Amino acid sequence: MSAIVAASLTQRFGSEVALDAVDLTVDTGEHLAVLGENGAGKTTLLRIIATAARPTSGSLAIFGLDALGERRRLRASIGYVAHASGLYPALSAAENLEFFCTLQGVDRGRVGEVLDLVGLGEVARRPAGKLSRGAQQRLAIGRAVLHDPRLLVLDEPDASLDSGAADLLARVMRDRTAVIATHDHALANRLCPRTMELRHGRVVGVPTRLRVVH
Amino acid sequence: MRSVAVALAVARKDLTSEWRTRELVPALAQFVVLALVIANFGFQFDSRTAPAIAPGVLWMTLVFAGLVAFGRAFAAEREQASLEAMLLTPASPAAIFAGKALAAALLLVLCEAVLLPALALFFNVPLSFDVVSPVLLATVGMAVLGCLFAAMVARVRARELLLPLLTLPLWIPFIVIGGQAVQVAMGAGTGGTGSATSLLIDLDILFVVLTSLVARFVLDD
Repeated sequence: MSAIVAASLTQRFGSEVALDAVDLTVDTGEHLAVLGENGAGKTTLLRIIATAARPTSGSLAIFGLDALGERRRLRASIGYVAHASGLYPALSAAENLEFFCTLQGVDRGRVGEVLDLVGLGEVARRPAGKLSRGAQQRLAIGRAVLHDPRLLVLDEPDASLDSGAADLLARVMRDRTAVIATHDHALANRLCPRTMELRHGRVVGVPTRLRVVH
Repeated sequence: MRSVAVALAVARKDLTSEWRTRELVPALAQFVVLALVIANFGFQFDSRTAPAIAPGVLWMTLVFAGLVAFGRAFAAEREQASLEAMLLTPASPAAIFAGKALAAALLLVLCEAVLLPALALFFNVPLSFDVVSPVLLATVGMAVLGCLFAAMVARVRARELLLPLLTLPLWIPFIVIGGQAVQVAMGAGTGGTGSATSLLIDLDILFVVLTSLVARFVLDD
């Protein structure tokens, strides 16, 4: 079964075309890496899939639901890591997650589990604003999987992360459908059986398995 | 029930952040005291004219303090990119909005706790339940309207300019009705405060319901 079916997704910002008739299908449980240079349209595509933005035209179905009309219903099934961490700097790491537990309707008992998953158990009581950039990114990833989503949308999640990034991402992506935007071809190759490349808002070639020659 | 839990969690989060950072309330408290000091020197008043002047000073100060408090409510969320994270949950945007408005209203009430005694001190006017109740009732309506427009303009560059332009016209009924009620309570006007109180309650209900209905479109679309 397809988790994501997008047809002719187009996003315009004034006269600028950020996404140009992108077609995309991702099967349930599949991991897809979206590659491309800065300004290629990766973030725009991921924001639309995460229901954070509406496309100018085109259709998008996620888990069989119309993602444009059923956004709120779908959000319980989607975890999104954006460019900016979107954390509350004055709240501790645990408090940030506890707050989102209430918003997600998830038991607070999940907080400790998620902090351990992302390797932040020891700094749970430290204000998010005082965590390193990498730890903040780990916390943002933890927040994205707090409600155990079926689909994970990760926009350059490896930014600011240390060498353990690939292991952490592999852990959180396990048993989930995932779409990940990255510049790191080696990371994409390790995490995703399939890649697609965007250039000037268009898909370049056919989505394929990336091979990195070492 | 879930919406109530979400609204309370959002309000608690905002109040906790403010308590730990102390960004807004000390600055607002300082602002209201300075405004009263300036008004104290700027107006020529005596014990006979003070009850007529003090309500005007009270509402002017409250309006400007409110614009700052409500403007910050959503500007901070946008700066931290945290509003989107909240909206990408299944939580109702109306509940998120209600929580933001509740926290902003409580912060303004804290400023009123400084403003009202200071006003009584500077202008030597009585501070009674009849003075406090219209101010608190107006705060509710002003908070929901102020937060709605603050959410609307938060992504606009000229938000500091747009917020008063959009908000002030809709605050006028609260200022007029509340101002008259406070004047009467301070002994400068005629009549009772009962009809003003019920009018303010009606306006509060009207704007709380209206803003809850449009919050989804303002926040999420």
